[in-house]
This record gives sequence, structure tokens and C-alpha cells, in this order.
Amino acid sequence: MSNSTSKPRRTPQGRRDSRRHTPKVDTKGIYQRAIRDSFVKLDPRVQVRNPVMFVVWIGTIITALLTINPYLFGNVPGENLRFFNGLITVILFFTLVFANFAEAVAEGRGKAQADALRSTKSDTIAKKLSPDGKIQEVSSTTLRRGDIVKVIAGDIIPADGEVISGVASVDESAITGESAPVLKEPGSDIASSVTGGTKIISDELTIRVTADPGKGFIDRMIALVEGAERSKTPNEIALTVLLAVLTQVFLIVVATLPPVANYVKNPVSVAILIALLVALIPTTIGGLLSAIGIAGMDRVAQFNVVATSGRAVEACGDVNTLVLDKTGTITLGNRLAEEFIPVNGHSLEDVAGVALAASVFDETPEGKSIVRLAERLGAEVDFDRTQAEGIEFSAKTRMSGTDLPDGREIRKGAVDAIKGFVRSRGGKLAADLDQAYERVSRLGGTPLAVCQNGDIYGVIYLKDIIKPGIRERFEQLRRMGVRTVMLTGDNRITASVIAQEAGVDDFIAEATPEDKIAVIQREQAEGKLVAMTGDGTNDAPALAQANVGLAMNSGTQAAKEAANMVDLDSDPTKLIDLVTIGKQLLITRGALTTFSVANDIAKYFAILPVIFAAAGLQTLNVMGLVSTQSAVLSALIYNALIIPALIPLALRGVKFRPLTANQLLQRNILLYGLGGVVAPFIAIKVIDVLISAVGLV
Amino acid sequence: MMNLPALIELAHIQLRRRPWSSLIFLGMCLNLIIAPAVYGAAGGEIERSSAWAIGLLGLLTFGLSIYLFVVIFQPERF
Repeated sequence: MSNSTSKPRRTPQGRRDSRRHTPKVDTKGIYQRAIRDSFVKLDPRVQVRNPVMFVVWIGTIITALLTINPYLFGNVPGENLRFFNGLITVILFFTLVFANFAEAVAEGRGKAQADALRSTKSDTIAKKLSPDGKIQEVSSTTLRRGDIVKVIAGDIIPADGEVISGVASVDESAITGESAPVLKEPGSDIASSVTGGTKIISDELTIRVTADPGKGFIDRMIALVEGAERSKTPNEIALTVLLAVLTQVFLIVVATLPPVANYVKNPVSVAILIALLVALIPTTIGGLLSAIGIAGMDRVAQFNVVATSGRAVEACGDVNTLVLDKTGTITLGNRLAEEFIPVNGHSLEDVAGVALAASVFDETPEGKSIVRLAERLGAEVDFDRTQAEGIEFSAKTRMSGTDLPDGREIRKGAVDAIKGFVRSRGGKLAADLDQAYERVSRLGGTPLAVCQNGDIYGVIYLKDIIKPGIRERFEQLRRMGVRTVMLTGDNRITASVIAQEAGVDDFIAEATPEDKIAVIQREQAEGKLVAMTGDGTNDAPALAQANVGLAMNSGTQAAKEAANMVDLDSDPTKLIDLVTIGKQLLITRGALTTFSVANDIAKYFAILPVIFAAAGLQTLNVMGLVSTQSAVLSALIYNALIIPALIPLALRGVKFRPLTANQLLQRNILLYGLGGVVAPFIAIKVIDVLISAVGLV
Repeated sequence: MMNLPALIELAHIQLRRRPWSSLIFLGMCLNLIIAPAVYGAAGGEIERSSAWAIGLLGLLTFGLSIYLFVVIFQPERF
């Protein structure tokens, strides 16, 4: 759990500051490609994957045959049948093309992004180190997992790997869009992983390759954004079944209509029956369904997040519990030393001196701020740094420090941990230590105790600043029924102060990495879907356990492989935005399905009464449509045109509002349900008037 | 003359190798039974060619219905 290293790059309410990165995608030519693809997708092997549109496809073929021979299925009443059947064929054909166009446009951005990524993935010459230490120049495509390569300034890193020696700056803009170089060094949990295709801009690194050719991060990204691995999500499958059931029902109804029509002496032509079938089946949502899903994935990609599947994006919308690290997500990442509080009879200068000695090897922002504060108070290093040994922080010991050349052991860390250390060195605890600890905790800060051997010198007050606007965002999530749980390594008092200020629903103080997986399992046992962020190797099990695991790109390979999403900007706050995107995807799909099904009512009233006018159904012609032919054509034209009209909404998504599920349902029924009934009544009438006026029928 | 098991085996191989053309062929064969029935039922009101077309349309509708049932019960295949 090393979120303290992640950089906050967002402002609240979804707006981002100037450090927002979007993938470099050349969108030029997307529409030309989409137009071409919408005709290519007329291939029956493609159409058969969409049951609603496949029925339209079959209908188009039959009406085309009826255009050639209007009496193919026997004598039918009416004039100008060839022209009328031709018009139906053209309208049905464009219904198919428009539906394909929606999908092609949605896919277009992903393809363009894949092209941009592919251009970074050129075959490079790698300097492979053989076991005897000799350098051999080989093609990057021949590198295998476990190979050791050397890269120097100006080289493209040939494959994904872990740095095993050297320190260098790497330009990762090809993947992340971030132009500032990133420091890479071995040993660190975070900064030691490198990605093939990125460029080393200073110094040199020795890297152990961790991915075989074609299985690197960029390869996976290309496959994902291109949609090569796209499979239907559970919600899409459920909706496909619903659409197939509706289509089946209307197919049976229309197929059994001719005997009834003949019985009432009102025979109906096959072309009109096909028109009726196409008007009644849910072509709007059938044509836009895949586009909505692809666009959801694309919205995530535009947020500079790579999702491993549409299922992950959809799961974001169903999340019940968000497990969030405090540092970097709820508070600004870098806690800064604000004050030294002496205890045990020591002076402020003494505490500053010991705090400085404890932090000279600490490269974290917190450690550097302690050094700065101590130096401001006049403290100086009074030992030979080259002879001293830095003790790194670990989640187990919860302290760090320095072993001085003269044998003194200086430590700083969690107050409990330092108390244990002091006791182990035979020291005594100061009575005023707990007072200082409580004072800092009640301010919402992190108290760090500092000691030298068995003597506690004082407490460092690390100030934590809650991100502006985060409370409002948690309030929005609460309204949507999403519970937030904050995890922090801080003590209970600090955690409760921060939790109250930030407005989270629950918190776990003094949390270990194991607590993370425990809280996820507990929530899942209650039937909830859980989302979390992580970047360290110790986060990997929890990332794999969570329904939505968002790994930071700056994190380890293990974390990225365990998660089902990777944030290229390494901003943990994005998890909240991803929940919003997931909910938006589900709401959009629901809204358009409601609209599409509601449309049927108007189309039913448009076509059926005029078809069966002779049988006395004319009174149901509430729209007053001119004739059977104009009614059929009007309904079909509306049916075709509504698809491109709704493409922007399908791609952009319904505007997200942080409302409760009931409020959302009421709003959508009113807007898309009622709107879906009223809009086609008006549109079909207008089209009927227009086509009658121009003399089309 | 080919025996029946060998004929079924051949049909099975062809169906797997060329599903679309095999289905069209089978549909045409089936229509040899359906079309005369349609012609007879119409009582001479339609021509033989129309009876053939109606028979094929019926088969196509039936096939479409089977396809939709497959989508309903095995949606992950699509």
C-alpha cells in the first residue's frame, strides 16, 4: 500500500486540472472508416450475431425479391407495388446501415487508439546481455521472459520488464500521455517496472524481461481498445435474450396474421407484413446495443484507464462498496511535517536533531519534509553519512530510521511501534508522549514518534490535507447507494477525525495489507460488489478479489496483472469517476431500451389500423394517416432515422445525475418512456404529411 | 448405389463443411413436400411458382424462429 507516492491530478466533481492526460488518438478519418465498415458489416456472418438486425436483414432480402417480382407470393391488391416494395427495401437497407454505422463509429476511436499504440510498438534492436556479460544485438521480437537487456539514453525499451540495476529517466508519454519523465530504479516496489515501447532519456538501465513477445502491456492494450477480445457482458447477454424474446413474439404474431387477415377479407401483402414486423421489433436498441457498450469502454479509455473487459466497466456501475486508501485518494498524497513536539524533557532542538538523523535516508515526501523542517530549526547532520545505514520503512515494523556509525539506533514511526522499540532497548516511556500523540491525532494529523535507542525524544506532526470537494463526492456516492470505506495505517483517533471530515461511511485504522482483502471478502459475503485501488505487490490479492480492481500504472507488474483496470495516470481518485462511468453506461442502456420499447406503441397505432381499415379498425387510426402505404413508409422511415438520431446519445451516454435508484427510475420512465411514446406519434405524423405532400405515395 | 448409412454420413459431413449451401439444399428438398400441399390448400387460386415461394417463405420463417430460440437459450454464442 504505497499510495503516498501517487500524485493527485484531479480536482473534484470530475473536472481535472491541467495534468489530465487523454490518449493521443488521431481521430481523422474515423467517419470515413465507419461509413465503409457499416457496409462491410452487412455480411450475414456479422449480422447473425445481432438477432434483431438479422431479422431486418432477412426482411430486406425478401422485400428486394418482392421489388423484382411483386407477385412472387401470389396476387396482392394495390398499385405501384414495385415502387412501394422498392421504397421499403431501401428504408430497411438503411436501417441496417445506420445500425452498423453506430457500431462502427463506436469502434472507430478504439481502432484509431490501437493504430497509435501500434506505431509505438516498432521492432527495435535490443542489447541482450549473455550470461558471460557480453552484449549481443538482437531483434526485440526474439526476447523472451527472463532475458536480461541493457538500455541506454535514447533507446526504446524493447520489452516489458523489471529494472535490476541502474537509475534512469524514462519517457512514458507514448502510453500515459504524461510528458514529464519518470524515474526508474531497482528495488523499489513501484518504480522498478518498465514498459516496452517507452523511451529512456537519460542514463542507463539493466532490465529483466517479464513478458514474451505479443504478451506485453502495449499488446494487451491494443487488443483491448481494438475490441478484439470484446465479449458480451452479463447485462448485454440478458438484454440480448430479452430482445430475442420480443422478436420471437412479434415474428409469431406477424406470421400468424395472414389467416386472420384473409378471414376478415382484408388480405395483407408479405411486404407490408415484413414492414409491420420490422416496425414492431426493438430495432432501435438492437441497433445501438453494441455501440453503447463499446462507447462505455471508450469513455473509460478517454479517462486514460485501460479496462480488461466490458464486464469490468459494467461492474463499476453496480458497485456497492468503495474501499479507498486514505493517502492520495481522500487526502492529498504528500503529508508534510508541520511541527515537532518535544517530550520526556527534551528541547525542540534535540527533537529536530534526532528527527533529521532519522530521516536523512528517507526519500519519501514525508521524510524530505521532516528534513526541511529540522534544517529550518537549525539542526545539522553530525555524523558521516557514508558510514551510517538507512533502515527502510516496512508495513511490518511500521518505522524507519538510521543506524549511526557509533552504534546509536535512531528510529521514527508509528507511536506504538516506537514504544515497542524503546521497550526492547530497555528504555522507559514518557508520560507526556500520549498527550502529544492525542493532540496530533485530534487535529487529524499523523503522529510519528522519534527515539534514539531507548529514549523517546518527541512527536512529529505530519499534516494531512483532505482533498477539496471530496466530501461532496462521497455524499453523491451515498445518494447513489454506494458505501465508502477508508483504509489507513494511521491510529484510530486520526482515522476517525479524517473519516468524519471527509464524510466516509466507515474506516479501518492501523490497517495492514491483509485487512484490505478481509474487508473486501466481508463485503462480498453480504452480496455486495466491491471496488478498490492498489499499486503494490501486496495489493495484488485484494485487487484480484475485488469486483473492480483499479491498479496504478506506476505500480508493480503483479498489481497490474491482478487488477481488471489500469489507470495510466496513477490517480486513485479516478475510482470514483469510474463508478460514475459504469452507472452512466447502465443508465444509457436502460434509457434507450425503455425508449425503443415505448416506440412500439406509436408504431402499432400507425400501421395496424390502416392495414385493417377494411375490417373496421379505421377508428384506431388516431394519427389520421393518409393511406396504408404512407403509414407503413412513415413508420419505417421513423424507425430507420431514429437510430442515427440516437447515435450521439449512445456514444456520449445519458447525462449522469447522482440520484437514488428510485429517483432515476422515475426520471427515466418519464423522460424516455413517455418521450418514447409521444415522440414517434409526432414524428410519424410529420413524415406522413411530408411524403404525402411530395407525392411519394 | 450408395447405402443409407453412407448417405447420412455424407450429408452430415457436407452439413458441417458447407452449412449454408447444405441448409438451402435441404430446404429445397423439404419444399418438395410443402409446396404441393400449399398449392392444394389454395384450391388453385395461386400459381405453382407462388406455392413454391410461399413454401420457402414458411421454411425461412420457421428457421428464423429456431434461430431466435437458439439466441434465447444460448445467448453467449452470439
